[in-house]
Amino acid sequence: MANFINYRNINFSIDDKNYYATRVSLSAKASVEAVVLNDGSLLNYAPQGAVIGNLSTEFYLTGSLPSFLRITGTDESSITGNFAGVAITGLYPKSINFSVEPFKPIVINAEFDWYGNVNVHYFKENSQQEIESIQIPDYVANGYKSYMTSADIDTFGYITNFNYSSSCDRPAFFNVNEIVPFRVGKLNKKIDFSLNSNYLGSLISIAGRTATTTITLKDIYGTTLDTFDVSGVLTSQNYEISQGQYLLASANISQTVTENKVLI
Amino acid sequence: MSAVLSGLNIKNIFEYYTGNSYSKYDIVDFQLTTGISAYPSYTGFGQSGLTTWFNNDLLNNFSLDANFNVSGWINLVSGSGSLKQTSNDENSRPYIDFNEYYIDIYNKQSLSGTGFASNSRTIFLTVNAGNISYINQTQKLIKFGLSSDYGFIKLSGENTNGNAVIFIDDQQFNAPSYIYDTKNIYTIIQDSSANVLKLRQNGIYVGSINSFSNYWKNEQLILGDNNDNKSLKYYELIHFTGILKDEEIDWYEKYLFEKYFDNKSLYYAKQNVPQGINYSPISFTGADYWTRNINDLFKISYGSNASFSSKLSNLMMGDGYQSNIAKNINTLNSNFSINYDGLTDTQAKCLIAYFENTPEANKKSLYEGFKGVELDLFSPYKPSAELYFKKIDHTTPYNNINNVKIEAESLYDSSLDYKGMLVQLDEIKIRTYTDTINQLKYNDVFYYNSDSFLDRGYYFYTGENFITEGSNIAFPVNISPENSPTGENSWFTKSFYFKGEIDYSLNNELRLRVNDSKNSTIEYDKDGINYNLLEFNINFNRRTNSEAMAILKFLDDKAGYKPFQYTLPQPYNKTINVYCPEWNHVYNFYNNNDISVKFKEIKAPLKFTSSFNTDIYFSI
Repeated sequence: MANFINYRNINFSIDDKNYYATRVSLSAKASVEAVVLNDGSLLNYAPQGAVIGNLSTEFYLTGSLPSFLRITGTDESSITGNFAGVAITGLYPKSINFSVEPFKPIVINAEFDWYGNVNVHYFKENSQQEIESIQIPDYVANGYKSYMTSADIDTFGYITNFNYSSSCDRPAFFNVNEIVPFRVGKLNKKIDFSLNSNYLGSLISIAGRTATTTITLKDIYGTTLDTFDVSGVLTSQNYEISQGQYLLASANISQTVTENKVLI
Repeated sequence: MSAVLSGLNIKNIFEYYTGNSYSKYDIVDFQLTTGISAYPSYTGFGQSGLTTWFNNDLLNNFSLDANFNVSGWINLVSGSGSLKQTSNDENSRPYIDFNEYYIDIYNKQSLSGTGFASNSRTIFLTVNAGNISYINQTQKLIKFGLSSDYGFIKLSGENTNGNAVIFIDDQQFNAPSYIYDTKNIYTIIQDSSANVLKLRQNGIYVGSINSFSNYWKNEQLILGDNNDNKSLKYYELIHFTGILKDEEIDWYEKYLFEKYFDNKSLYYAKQNVPQGINYSPISFTGADYWTRNINDLFKISYGSNASFSSKLSNLMMGDGYQSNIAKNINTLNSNFSINYDGLTDTQAKCLIAYFENTPEANKKSLYEGFKGVELDLFSPYKPSAELYFKKIDHTTPYNNINNVKIEAESLYDSSLDYKGMLVQLDEIKIRTYTDTINQLKYNDVFYYNSDSFLDRGYYFYTGENFITEGSNIAFPVNISPENSPTGENSWFTKSFYFKGEIDYSLNNELRLRVNDSKNSTIEYDKDGINYNLLEFNINFNRRTNSEAMAILKFLDDKAGYKPFQYTLPQPYNKTINVYCPEWNHVYNFYNNNDISVKFKEIKAPLKFTSSFNTDIYFSI
């Protein structure tokens, strides 16, 4: 069970794993359209599609990234979350992003689509007794620090910080007479990586510039938490200096993630 | 590679092999065994033990009496004994259908003969046994000698896994495949030197008996002679003296399989299949794993649509009057565009192969084309509609995501069937009217039965909903005669009460005669008295499933040619007579249906003088 950083009395977990969440936002949206008849009367509001829910959260990375947040992988299956005592069974991860810089804890921003019924009317805060019985973790999320150990991008200088995000579209497919999808696929998988450095090398060309790097996240003990491979193209460079500051350069790398088809 | 596989545009589909396991959506070409087939009289393999061969290939294979009853089945191996029916009683002689490849032996009918003695032999028998009439009934397939206890193979039990049994003399074995109402290849391997008699069904080992009776070596062979069995359809019987090798048995079984079984249609795995011969598609166990039914594999997606147009002979009679005559009882061109969205590559491969393989289905009869696909259509159309797949549109928006659209046609929907053509009286969604009704909601459709054909037909409920407040739980509603479909204050209507969209367009073109004299201005004259006949489209978009069903049932009931009244919207507001020769329906989402209809105005009184509607039954 995870607590919010501000110790509000609502629990949040994903796939039975506890995260030290700083924020959780749950929303649902129905797309409807009015049906107006030729006598001027309103017949009803017709559904245009399923109720699509959105869940976004921020939590501290206190270990390796959970496998279900490997957005650009091939696993399309849903996961189950639990928010304020209510299960959300059809969660489909669609994006994550995080920033890394020295001596700063890593906060993962994750976003999910969800489908199906969620008993939001059962949302409840913990009672005082429940709050008191919650075991406080023996670790502190922001006690960790992570940093990048390698950035194998040719000609780049010292990288001061970077931001990593991966995302995809999650198209839902329905059988007739059903309002919960039988499959939520993955489309347009991509990774965006931006960084700040003191030097970026030569100017990009019209085709960008090939950029390959591996990001390794470690905890304060040097234990590897996770690695992220980026093999994309450098698409933008920016140089900026302001009064009293050093020259800082920033760059963006984009990667379209593909998989080779397996012959069937 | 078989001709079936080479005809597909998809690679990596293979013959079924019992040593392989398979994944869901895998496709196999089931040919019983993966080896060759051998013609029984072929001697190129060195095999020369063929002593008996009965088949139905030629009429000359039978001796017939004056009434074409079979008095003898002639052995194709010259010098060997034949089977006869010597009784003068015509009822003892089997009947032969010249259009089929079997001889049908009923009840006590039988064929028998001598000259079949052999200590060791291998017999291949292809037969289709009719289902039993009562439990414990038995049917003898083949018998040697005159003992009632020994020398025969017989069937018994229900046609289900674990209940269907095959007897070798008094020992019973569970049948690995269906034993009734389907063709089976039974192989008897009678080995006197090893003193064992084995039985196979469709290549699958059934069981064996040791120290078998000497009746099995008897020279007399009898087919039939059963009590109150329905029928035994004998296709072919092949008898080799001596014991064939295992591979030779496979060859001759495969010969029979290729000749009599549907070996052109592929099988599709509906779940992961373990390896082993008991999981072959035509076995009891295999039926849980393999299918040829598309409904076991895929479900239809939203966006599917149906379009209908009537096949009419239109007779214009001047002054705008016309007569529409339906060309036949299948008055509608019914076309469906079926969507299967979000398929994986494996699923798409399976579906495309299914589509491409549909013309290999068995013929409906000797005189008709191949069978269509039985498809559970989307609401509100009937389940198990027979459709002919005609065109496929396959798109892949991304890796491992496939959208497949299949265009299909339904051909055999009769306008004479009172239940309807494609939107049918099913007693679930559309019910027969009774005085007490459950689940009474606006747009509900009822069939009202009456001795008067003017009152008989489909009515649409336009009253208030009778449901428990705040829930969908309905309660029985007693309807008084006054509020019944034909009552004075009816809650029901037969009229077209549906209202189109607020945004509509209606065009009117005058029917004019043109007098175009040379070197002069043209002159217009009205074309008869009905020169303002409308032809227009009305859209009913985003309608609930219940309203869509009501609209579509109304149109289905009119079958594309029957007239009805329609009240034009503002500013016309006039009620005119129309018929609907074309309409289209798209199932966008749950409770979201688009229906567009074409109405043609006619100038004729809506007086019916006669009407056909009857229940249609088809039997095989």
